[in-house]
Amino acid sequence: MQTVSKRLKSSETRLSLLTVLLLILLVLYALMLVGLLVWAFLTSFKSQQEFRVNVIGLPQTWVWNYTFVFQMYLYPVFTEMGTQYVGMGLMFLYSLLYAVGCAFTATLVPCITSYLCARFPYRFGKLIYLIVIVTMVIPIVGSQPSEIQVAKFLGFYDQIWGLWLMKANFLGMYFLVFFGIFRGIPKEYEEAAKMDGAGNFAILFRIMLPLVRNTFFVVMLIRFIEFWNDYQTPLIYLKSYPTVALGMFNMANTRENGLSTVPMRMTGAMLMLLPILAIFLVFQRRLIGNLTVGGIKG
Amino acid sequence: MRAAKKTSRLGVFHRKDILFYCALMAYPVLQFVIFYIVVNANSILLAFRSYDTMTGAVTWVGFANLKEAFRMMTQQLELLDAMKNSFLAYFVTLVIGTPLALLFSFYIYKELPASGIFRVLLFMPSIVSAIVMVTIFQFFSDRAVPEIFTKVFGAETYQGLIENPQTRFGTVMFYNIFVGFGTATLMYSNAMDAISPDQVDAAKLEGAVGIREFVYITFPMIYPTFSTFFITGVATIFTNQYNLYSFFGDGSSIQTYGYWLYVKVAGAASQSEYPVLAAVGIFLTVIAVPLTLIVKKLLEKFGPSED
Repeated sequence: MQTVSKRLKSSETRLSLLTVLLLILLVLYALMLVGLLVWAFLTSFKSQQEFRVNVIGLPQTWVWNYTFVFQMYLYPVFTEMGTQYVGMGLMFLYSLLYAVGCAFTATLVPCITSYLCARFPYRFGKLIYLIVIVTMVIPIVGSQPSEIQVAKFLGFYDQIWGLWLMKANFLGMYFLVFFGIFRGIPKEYEEAAKMDGAGNFAILFRIMLPLVRNTFFVVMLIRFIEFWNDYQTPLIYLKSYPTVALGMFNMANTRENGLSTVPMRMTGAMLMLLPILAIFLVFQRRLIGNLTVGGIKG
Repeated sequence: MRAAKKTSRLGVFHRKDILFYCALMAYPVLQFVIFYIVVNANSILLAFRSYDTMTGAVTWVGFANLKEAFRMMTQQLELLDAMKNSFLAYFVTLVIGTPLALLFSFYIYKELPASGIFRVLLFMPSIVSAIVMVTIFQFFSDRAVPEIFTKVFGAETYQGLIENPQTRFGTVMFYNIFVGFGTATLMYSNAMDAISPDQVDAAKLEGAVGIREFVYITFPMIYPTFSTFFITGVATIFTNQYNLYSFFGDGSSIQTYGYWLYVKVAGAASQSEYPVLAAVGIFLTVIAVPLTLIVKKLLEKFGPSED
């Protein structure tokens, strides 16, 4: 059946001028992207002396820059006791704490809120839905100074747990993704559970959340990658807890001897890129599988 | 059972349901109140305050910050440039990036040759840190591209594409389009997958194949998803940095408002610098809100019909 629908989907469209043009564009895109990454990977195995004369070729002598960069990948943190340098091991830990915690709260809150809005017949749910739509459509610019003040006032500033709470909001596209799924679940599921004596918490945790666990996982993974790669929030809000991404930003702009060469910078980039690339390649089918979002009315 | 059931303006409900609802809704609502309503209200108040750099004492300064912000926005070359670039960058990504994202999604949806690989590759830049991609792209443009040009076109020395002020803006825009297909392609192609095969078959019988299928069937069916992306895109005109901070740190010669605001906030030595930034934010919001609403209305009015 699937084969038949697949055949129907692609037949007649296969050889049109449009698809040939698109194929050419996509092949060019793929070559450029893969070319960039391969060039960076190969450059990370060159010495600076070799890079000066051999910018685009294969390394004549393969140099292992990774240990040096891992050891020198330091981020200065300015404290009352003076400047302290955070190494890559600790940066990985901060990145994990920041990215996992924020991804979890930033997925859980829209999931639970959308469940309440989609499955309970209260008008307040409609108001929440409207708020999500309005905040997506109406842009607020330049509120960051104010947010810093509020974060400092609440004691959230420069605390990883503070950012978990700050990121735990229901606004944005993923609310709509979960809302669409919860709306589509037949009411019979709840009714049958209630007949068996299940309460609201049991229905939520034993029936509803397991039904959306795939989407929950995908959204959390997308958000994890987003927070893992984010250096701008830690640059402002986590001055004492530099993440790997912030370390990479520091390295990309460093003038320090030894680290400021192109091969060393490419090595740093590879150190940051490879773990995420591995996660992506393992989970890519689930990551780019089933997320959909509809229109926004209101 | 019936005694527990009440009817009010909220509808039919049980007391236990209400308690459950309130318990779970409490945190999201509190978070929204603090980090949206209070933050934005404070941002408005901030525009009317001034902080003493030495003591931190607060004084109310009326419209002084707004006047200063208006003067800066209308007279400072840097900000005039930021306004022009913010619109130009949005326009370029809209005119080039959006149609390409739609057409690439169409290619993937039709499961044409290697579509699975292209889907993964188009999404890949979205999972790679901006700072990593930018670092690689920047050095490739400035070091490898001139080398390739020299090898292909002869012994002349070429300047890097980012180094060269004449190609810098175009290269940065190219980069933003290049890495920007991920989420849009994912959402569009998933929305296209939801189109009923019966509708597509019926249209094919009437001759809608290739570009005609895209224009008359596929695009109208995913229009709600498209308009969502379009509208939320307009809302980012003044917040999008176009990766300028990743390219140039705080020393970019190209300015957009998203970049300028971030640089000012990240580099602020004390909160005495915040009020004018908040005032600039108010002006930008005043421009962006009606613009977004107009675009939304136009998309609703002139969008294709699903019938």
